[in-house]
Amino acid sequence: MNVLETSGLGKRYRSTWALRECNLAVPAGRIVALVGPNGAGKTTLLHCAVGLIPPTTGSITVLDGFAAGSPGALESIAFVAQDAPLHQHLSVQAMLSVAAGLNTRFDEPEAIRRLTALGIPHDRKVARLSGGQQAQLALTLSVARSPSLLVLDEPLARLDPLARHDFMAHVMATVAEQEMSVLFSSHVVSELGRVADYLVVLASGRVQMAGDIDELLASHMLLSGPADDAERIARRFPVVQSVGAGRRVQMLVRVGRPSDQPGSTETLDAGWERDEVSLEELVLGYLRDPAASMLPGPMGQLPDDARELAR
Amino acid sequence: MTTLAPAHLPRTREAGEHRVPWQSIARVNWLQNRGTLLSLALLGVAFAAAIVIGESTIQSPYASYVAHGCSAHPAQVACVTTAFANNQTFFSNLVIALRVMPVAIGVFVGAPLFARELESGAFRFTWTQSVGRTRHIALSLAVLALPVAAMTAVLGLLLNWYAHPFEVVGIESQWESGLFEAGPLVAAAWSVFALSLGALLGMAIRRTVAAMAATAVLVGGLAVASYVEFVHHLLAIAPIATTRLAPDGAATGLLNIPAYRNIGPPGAWYVAGWFTGPHGQTLSENASLHLEGRFYGCWTTKRTNGEVGCVMHWLSSHGYTYWLSYQPTGRFWDFQAVEVVVLVVLAIAFALSTLRLARSGRP
Repeated sequence: MNVLETSGLGKRYRSTWALRECNLAVPAGRIVALVGPNGAGKTTLLHCAVGLIPPTTGSITVLDGFAAGSPGALESIAFVAQDAPLHQHLSVQAMLSVAAGLNTRFDEPEAIRRLTALGIPHDRKVARLSGGQQAQLALTLSVARSPSLLVLDEPLARLDPLARHDFMAHVMATVAEQEMSVLFSSHVVSELGRVADYLVVLASGRVQMAGDIDELLASHMLLSGPADDAERIARRFPVVQSVGAGRRVQMLVRVGRPSDQPGSTETLDAGWERDEVSLEELVLGYLRDPAASMLPGPMGQLPDDARELAR
Repeated sequence: MTTLAPAHLPRTREAGEHRVPWQSIARVNWLQNRGTLLSLALLGVAFAAAIVIGESTIQSPYASYVAHGCSAHPAQVACVTTAFANNQTFFSNLVIALRVMPVAIGVFVGAPLFARELESGAFRFTWTQSVGRTRHIALSLAVLALPVAAMTAVLGLLLNWYAHPFEVVGIESQWESGLFEAGPLVAAAWSVFALSLGALLGMAIRRTVAAMAATAVLVGGLAVASYVEFVHHLLAIAPIATTRLAPDGAATGLLNIPAYRNIGPPGAWYVAGWFTGPHGQTLSENASLHLEGRFYGCWTTKRTNGEVGCVMHWLSSHGYTYWLSYQPTGRFWDFQAVEVVVLVVLAIAFALSTLRLARSGRP
């Protein structure tokens, strides 16, 4: 069961394609991090997912088959847009009433309890709340709808470190309580590993990498060795990124998924070292090379050496 | 890192299975627009008070006018209408104010309705709630159209009640542009029209102040155009032509005037007058003026006694015929209905365009 499926999804603004040939299937029950540089198409993809904008090409469905933006989809998706835009002239209490009035399902008592616990005054105008408080209010309003999928667009972008921590703690607590799926975009790659278990990397409007984070990390490796020997290694393993430092070179390579390959032997030559790759290194490695891609699919395309190294 | 078991994702409902009730949308709109709506309601109350005060000042002279039977014999000394004439300026100002009311509704209620959300980005909140943007926009327009239409309809009724003595005296007519569009139904339709046009401009322009300015210019301009042109063209549709009435006053060309007291069909609206010659040809304006000069003496001397037979006799004996086209009083509500239908159809078209813009995903 997938909470988000796209097929050939494309979105064009005038002559510029924000998304192109985007094929994606995000499984349910995951906390999905959508990362990519500015202009990669993250917000466009999320806006398509919640039905704010229609795609130019292709299709997008949510929650196992609902057309994005359809009444059935909207009832079960909650969206917190970038900068959490709410009605600034209303009080927090009025904002709660507005949210309750716009939804068939809204747990107002729980939302009030949550806001009280966060110390957000109910009689204060939204405009007079801090950025962190506004983000928490927007999240509370979304969670009170008991959605099956919570979509967050750059929720951490304008929050200080403490507010980021509080916000993500709220998200994690809610996920644990309500068994919802979460799809959030972020620039803050260092925060992803702590909260997300599924990763989608977008670059230049295309899906560059998607998959379970544990599997993605296990299927990549950092190899360090003599620069003279780099070409030979590159013939054996798909290289995502190569960084030279004098006579040595460090390469981020794909080695296949261990779970896919029975039995193995060590195949690295002497003089080469291998290290596990961190999530930040993995994401940055792909973002620096938009031509590289890693999408879910058969491992048959990997060279034999890459499969064996993965073991 | 947290990995959850796959969540249970029920297909909660198919499209339209459960809907946010309109009462909830009404409450949301009240919360979002209560400042504007309360101001508008206060304005309406002040307006109503002004009408009641104005009407009370002519109650006494009107009672006297009726008591002396002036409707039938207006030439009596007791039937001098100075008190009405003095009050007429105040009345006319109220008519103008009621014509301005739809402009205010378009500017302060319609234009900001969606422009404010688009400008602030709050539409990304509103349009992603269960209600959906189509239902939200349609119901928002409907629940706001209802009170503004009701308010202007009530004010129109009050103003027509105030207008009655002036009409009996003969110094105002329900057919004249200002009062014609201040009728309860037409005034209400103008309010809905202005609200809808303002909302469309807000959706298209996406900037609150700019949308308000555009609405003021457009609705104001259309109101003026309607006052100056549209109503006159509307009332000129399929008039009844007669040769049984004598030329009186401005007798040729487009008249656009109410029937004179005791002359012509009571309560009618004169559309146009023209002369035809001995061979049935329509006389030009100059020829008509020349003709009038020839029977002018007869016309003025006999006219004072309410006699028009002299003019009619002179015309027929010289082979001329005077034609007058008019709308009988019984058609008044037909024309009111026509203007209401035109305005409501346009308002619906604007509302549909607003929905179409919102659904195009332009934001």
